[in-house]
Amino acid sequence: MLAASVSRSLPSSKRFSLSVLVCASIVIMLFALTQGSASLSIREVWLALTGEGTPLATTLVMELRLPRILAAYATGGLLAVAGALMQILLRNPLAEPYVLGISGGASVAALVSILLGISGVLLSGAAFLGAMVSTVLVFGISQAGRTSSSLRLLLTGVVIAAGWGALITLILALAPPHKLPGMLYWLMGDLSYAGSPILPWCMLIAVCVVIVPLGRSLNVLARGALQAASLGVDVKRLERLVFVLASLLTAVAVTTAGSVGFVGLVVPHLLRMVLGNDQRVTLPACALAGGCLLTLADTLARVVIAPEQLPVGVITALLGVPTFLLLLRKGRL
Amino acid sequence: MRTALKTLLLTTLTLCSAKSVMAQQCVVDDRQRTVCMDKPAQRIATLSPGATELAFAAGAGSKVVAVVSYSDYPPQAKQITSVGSHTRIDMERLVSLQPDLVLAWRTGNPPEQIDLLEKMGQTVFIIEPHEFDEIATAVKRIGTLAGTEVVADDVADTFLAGIEQLRERYQNAPKVRTFYQVWDEPLMSMSGKHYISKVVALCGGVNVFADSSRMIPRLNVESVLLQNPEAIIAGGMGEENSSWLQAWRAFPEMRATAQGNLFFVPPSLIQRPTPRVLEGARILCDKLDIARARR
Repeated sequence: MLAASVSRSLPSSKRFSLSVLVCASIVIMLFALTQGSASLSIREVWLALTGEGTPLATTLVMELRLPRILAAYATGGLLAVAGALMQILLRNPLAEPYVLGISGGASVAALVSILLGISGVLLSGAAFLGAMVSTVLVFGISQAGRTSSSLRLLLTGVVIAAGWGALITLILALAPPHKLPGMLYWLMGDLSYAGSPILPWCMLIAVCVVIVPLGRSLNVLARGALQAASLGVDVKRLERLVFVLASLLTAVAVTTAGSVGFVGLVVPHLLRMVLGNDQRVTLPACALAGGCLLTLADTLARVVIAPEQLPVGVITALLGVPTFLLLLRKGRL
Repeated sequence: MRTALKTLLLTTLTLCSAKSVMAQQCVVDDRQRTVCMDKPAQRIATLSPGATELAFAAGAGSKVVAVVSYSDYPPQAKQITSVGSHTRIDMERLVSLQPDLVLAWRTGNPPEQIDLLEKMGQTVFIIEPHEFDEIATAVKRIGTLAGTEVVADDVADTFLAGIEQLRERYQNAPKVRTFYQVWDEPLMSMSGKHYISKVVALCGGVNVFADSSRMIPRLNVESVLLQNPEAIIAGGMGEENSSWLQAWRAFPEMRATAQGNLFFVPPSLIQRPTPRVLEGARILCDKLDIARARR
């Protein structure tokens, strides 16, 4: 379905790659549904999905596995797209969703809320608000000077992120020990406590609809602001839009699963190596591949040393680092 | 509040002895929510090592079907299926074990996972005892829900009687200024509001950090030296712990070091709010008595 919404002018090979990713997504999600610390056969899972399973199997599949898998997929997709957008915006290969301090802002707000004894939807709301405050702060300060450039934006973001980092350390040092596990969750990235997957899915679908028509302009922007301007792109407007979009995506992702590392940095690079640097393909591919990676990683996190549950951030990095290094060694970057 | 709770407990107990097995049993949990069971719990999940101990103490040990990591007491608890750590519960495994009663820990378990359990229709009883009589009522309430009141009431009453005995014995004993070390790096103690501080007070000790505004204050060595405690009691992670105490020998001018009052009390006997606290309290009281004798 995503493949179909991509511009018709795409070469068929690229449309094919997207179709492969769509199929992979479906396969991975179905595979994830059959995996868990409770062993359910494929048949039992299918019966549960179609509403004919035993009450226990239905609870396991419909209330535990499915919401979590959907949350994982959407979060992964959001992070990968946000990472790709940040890399274009900042024209820096090291850029990732958290580089401008969005996760820091969200974490600080969440940690303060936990200190105040707030939980549930209000806590997520506070985290989202924190991410937005950080975004506005970074944008406001970086635009305040006489010149605005992507370098200026990057430096502002990095410094503000460092500020948030200090506040996080301060809060952790002052927090009562029994509140620490809940706090670490925001810093580690973990889908064990993920809430409803509806918001991240809405966000993911919305961003794909918005971003795909902008593919050509983004392709030009990726080559540099001057070049883009000379080709008639309204650089300032486009950059603002990309910044706001990337921030929103990251905020939703962090609110859902804490700061899951690595997906936003590595998935865009991997896809560029494989698919080339055409944003019309890379961005929807990021949504799909990011979703696949995080779903797979979270499935491992659930089962690898069950009943102990791992935070998914551990797995994304453990899977991502060797894959990425291997591709680097093969000289594809 | 506590009298109301006791009245309710008494009422339920009276009701249950008067009525047959059919009667619904209701108790109030430490979240002040009424938890009811139509019939005695048969499959209990305990989501903290303390909850496991309380369930066993209440005579419901044979009904425990799920525990979390570090549920090491009583020893047979180690044989029960674990559902992960108390901060990150393997929900699938827990649900698959089909418990009819979940004993959760208010500040230890993630509220998101507890909410999800309740949303799925699980009966969740939240425990968080902070006082000696709250430990006793926790045992009694679990007994009521599990239909093991006879054992539970006996254990709870014996526990309270033991505590009362210590109180009588030490209430007029000379006070010993005591530093209880919860952890070493970072150095931590606890305020007067914490029940461990109440154990210290029970034994005629004075917690030197009782006035701390934070429940678990993080300290530096200087602040301990400034308080110049007469006795230092170390907890810790394992059941052996000399290294924490060794560190205090570097300060011979401190009263506790000078008089050799550096003591260890097994943390599992005192840092888990269960009836075993009585055992821990007895050891701690003995240590403070030694300190008095060394004056």
